[in-house]
Amino acid sequence: MLYKKSVLAAFLLTWPLSALAQTTLIVPQLDEARTLSPDPAADTGGYAPTSNIYSHLVVMDWGVVAGTPAYGDLAKTWDISPDGKVYTFHLRPNVKWHDGKPLTSADVKFTYDRMIEKKYPYAAFLRNVATIETPDDQTVVITLKSVDMSFVPMMAQAAGWTGKIYPQHLWKDQPGFDTGPYVNAPVGSGPFKFVRWDRGSSIELAANPDYFLGKPSIDRLIFRPIPDTNVARAEFDAEQYPHLPYDYAPPLAEVAALQADPSIQVTFTPSHYSRDIQLNTQREPFSNLKVREAIAAAIDRDAMSRLGFAGLWKPAIHANVDTQKQWINTDVRFPAFDKKRAEALLDEAGYPRGANGMRFAAKVTGPSYSDCKAINEVLVQQLRDVGIDAKLEQFDQSTWFRRMQEKNFDISCYFTRYGPDPDAYREHFGTGGQRNFMGYSNPQFDELGARAVTLTNEADRAKLYKEMQVMLIRDLPYINLFNEQKTSLARAKWTGFPLQESGYDKSVTWFGYFAVKPPGK
Amino acid sequence: MRLRRYFIHRLLQVLPVALIIIVINFLLIHLAPGDVSILLAGEDADPAYMAAVRERYGLDKSFFDQLIAYLGQILQGDLGISYRTREPVFDVLMERVPATLLLAGTSLVIAAVLGTWIGTAIARRPGSLADTVVATFSISLFSIPVFWLGLMLILFFAVQLRWLPSSGMISIGGPRDGFARIMDIVWHMILPVAALSTVWLGQYIRLARTSVAEVLSESYVTTARSIGFSEPYVLFHHGLRNALLPIVTVLGLELGLLLTGAVLTETVFSWPGLGRLIYEAILARDTPIIMGAFIVMSFTVMLASLATDIAYAALDPRVSL
Repeated sequence: MLYKKSVLAAFLLTWPLSALAQTTLIVPQLDEARTLSPDPAADTGGYAPTSNIYSHLVVMDWGVVAGTPAYGDLAKTWDISPDGKVYTFHLRPNVKWHDGKPLTSADVKFTYDRMIEKKYPYAAFLRNVATIETPDDQTVVITLKSVDMSFVPMMAQAAGWTGKIYPQHLWKDQPGFDTGPYVNAPVGSGPFKFVRWDRGSSIELAANPDYFLGKPSIDRLIFRPIPDTNVARAEFDAEQYPHLPYDYAPPLAEVAALQADPSIQVTFTPSHYSRDIQLNTQREPFSNLKVREAIAAAIDRDAMSRLGFAGLWKPAIHANVDTQKQWINTDVRFPAFDKKRAEALLDEAGYPRGANGMRFAAKVTGPSYSDCKAINEVLVQQLRDVGIDAKLEQFDQSTWFRRMQEKNFDISCYFTRYGPDPDAYREHFGTGGQRNFMGYSNPQFDELGARAVTLTNEADRAKLYKEMQVMLIRDLPYINLFNEQKTSLARAKWTGFPLQESGYDKSVTWFGYFAVKPPGK
Repeated sequence: MRLRRYFIHRLLQVLPVALIIIVINFLLIHLAPGDVSILLAGEDADPAYMAAVRERYGLDKSFFDQLIAYLGQILQGDLGISYRTREPVFDVLMERVPATLLLAGTSLVIAAVLGTWIGTAIARRPGSLADTVVATFSISLFSIPVFWLGLMLILFFAVQLRWLPSSGMISIGGPRDGFARIMDIVWHMILPVAALSTVWLGQYIRLARTSVAEVLSESYVTTARSIGFSEPYVLFHHGLRNALLPIVTVLGLELGLLLTGAVLTETVFSWPGLGRLIYEAILARDTPIIMGAFIVMSFTVMLASLATDIAYAALDPRVSL
C-alpha cells in the first residue's frame, strides 16, 4: 500500500516538475502519420513530424506569400550558369546527421538518384534533371536537360512533402525508402530528433542541440492525432496547445469574438492558391463562351464572402492572387457582377427561360473542403437567380478527383495554384496539363508558357505571364473568386508559427516549428 | 469432448460465411471509385508513380486475379501488408485491439450490469412513478448521439473543471510502466467509458425491465411469493434468472460488434483503437487492413455467438449443446 501511494505521489509530483523545466510544444493533427519515411508516398499526417526531423536541399514556407519562392536549407547558396542549365548548390559546412556522422553532397545525390530510380513522388520535380554531380563534399551540381526557371521553386515547395534528404550510410543497404529499421525510427539532420512514437497517441521529438541553424527554442515537440475538430478547439481553449493549426480553423463567424480576446492571436494568411470555379469547356452548354461569360457575370463575390466567409475573404477579380504581386496582371479583370447582362448573354446564347423559369440544368460540385462547400452553396443560388437550374453534387475527395480527371462534371469549385513559380499556369491551363480538367486548349497560351519558363530575366517572364492572364480572362475556362485564406490561432506572445509573419522564411517548410518562440524567449 | 466437437462444428459453419464476407467486401471496395495509388501519389500525382504503385500492389490485375491472389494468401494465414504503413496487417490490427477492448469492453460490462440491475429493480411495479421516470430516462439515454455526449463531457469535465484529461489514452511524457501507467490509463478512460456506457445503458434498462416484468407475472413467481421468499430474492432469483436469456442475446450480439462498435467514441476522444483505424483505412482505400479487420470481426462474432450459446446452456436447463 505504501509502495502504491509513493509511486502515485511520485507520478503526481515529478511529472509537472519535469514539464516546467522544459518548453514543450504540443501540436494537434487531423491525420496520424502512416510512416515516418516521407519520401516514398504522400502522407498528410507524416509531413509535419518528418519536416521537423529531416532537412532538405532547398525549402519554401509561408514566406511564399510575401515573395520568397525558395530559400536554402542544406544548401547555403546556389549559382545558376549563364545559360540557365547548370545549378551549383553550395552546402552548409559541418552539418551532422542525428547520429553524429557528417552530412555531405553524396547524401543528396544518393537520395535524389534513388527517388528517380524508384519513381517516388518527388521524381516528378526532378524530371528535367540530366546529371547530378558531386565535385566535393560541399557541392552538388545539377545539370538540367532544358532551361526551367521553375526548377528550384518547385523543388522547394515539394520538399516539405516528399523531398527529404536521407542518410546514405543508413539507407544504402535497404532496397527502398519504405523498408528497414529507419522507416519509423528516422535519423535526419533537422532541428528535432526523433524520440518515440506511440501509435494513435503521439509522436515525440526533442530539440537537436547540434542543429546547423542553432538549437530550437522548443525543447520537446509533440504531434498528437486529434481527429475531431471540436475536441481540438476545446483543448486549445483549455490551453493544452499554444497553437491551433489551420486544419482546425474556427468558424469564421466566431472570429470576431476570438479577436476581442487579448489572450488569443488570430492570424489570417492568404495563400498562393485561389478558390475558383472550373467550367467544363468540352460539354454543352459550357462550351459556349457567352454562357461562360454569363456565369461570370452572375457571380456576386461580395455576397459570397458575406454569406460564406463572414466577409473575411477578399474577392479575387484577376487571373492571379494578390500574394503573387510580381506576376499579377491588374489591367484585366473577370466580368463584374451584373445580373441583367448575365440574363441577356444567356438569351443571346440561345438559352431563354423555359416554362419553369429555368434555361438549362447545371451540376455544381467540388472537393470536400469546407470553403468550397461554402462557395458552392451560394453559387447555386446565384446561378438559379439568372435562370440556370443549378444543383449541388457532393462526393468524397477521391471520387470527386476521379470524376474531374474523367472530365465528368459541369462546374466545380477548384484551387488553382499560382506560386511558388508562375509556371503553374501550364499545369492548370496548358493543353493536356495535369490539372486542366476544363479541357482548355489554346496553342498561343501553350507557346507563351513554354517560352516563359526558359527566360532567366524576371521582367521578361512577367510580361509573358501577364499576356497569358489576358487570354484566360478572355476565354474564361475558369472564374477566379477568392484568394484562399488560412485562419490559425495562437496564444498571446507566442511567435514564429509557420503561418505568422514572424515565421516566414525561418520555419523551414510549411510545417516547421524551428522558428517558434514561447513568451519571454 | 462434446463441447470441443460443438466448437469445431461452429467453426466449420463460420468458414463459408467468412468466405462470403471476404468476397462481398472485396467486390465493394473494388467498385468504390479511387484507389490507393491516388492517395499515395499525393498533391502532384505523377502518372508513372501511380502506375508503379498499382503494379506493386497488384492493382493493375483484373478483379478476379486480385481476389484469387488474396484468398490464396489468406489460406496461408497471411493477412498481407498494409498499403499505407507497409507493415503486416496482423500486427497493425493487434496493436489496436487492446485499446478498443479496454474501452468498449469496460463500457459494455458497466452498461449491462448496471442496466440490468436498474431494470430489474423497477420491474417490480410497472407503471409506478419510478418506472415511468426511469423508462423515459432510459429512452433518452440511448437516443443521445455518443459524439455529442462525449463532447459535452469533455467541455464540462476537461475544459471547464479541468478534472479529467480530454483525449488520448496516456499522458504525453507520462509514466511508461508499472502501476503509475495503469493509473494513467484508468484516468484517461473515465470520460470515454462514461460516454459509451451511458448510451448503452438505456437499452439494458429497458430490456431487463420488460423481460423481468413478464416473468414476474408467471404463476411460479406467485408461488414463490406465497411460500414467503423475500421480495428481493424473488426478484433476482426467480425473476431475473429466468429473464436473462433476451439480455444475454443482446449482450452476445454487442459483444460480437465490440471491436468496431466504438468508432465515434474513439474519434471524439482520440482513442487509439481499432474502429478509428478501420475508418481511416476505408478513407485511404487500404484494402488489406479493411479485409483483415473484417476477418478478425467475423471471428469475434463467431466467438461471441458461441459464448452466447454456452451461456444459454448454463442458464436454461432446457437448452443443451
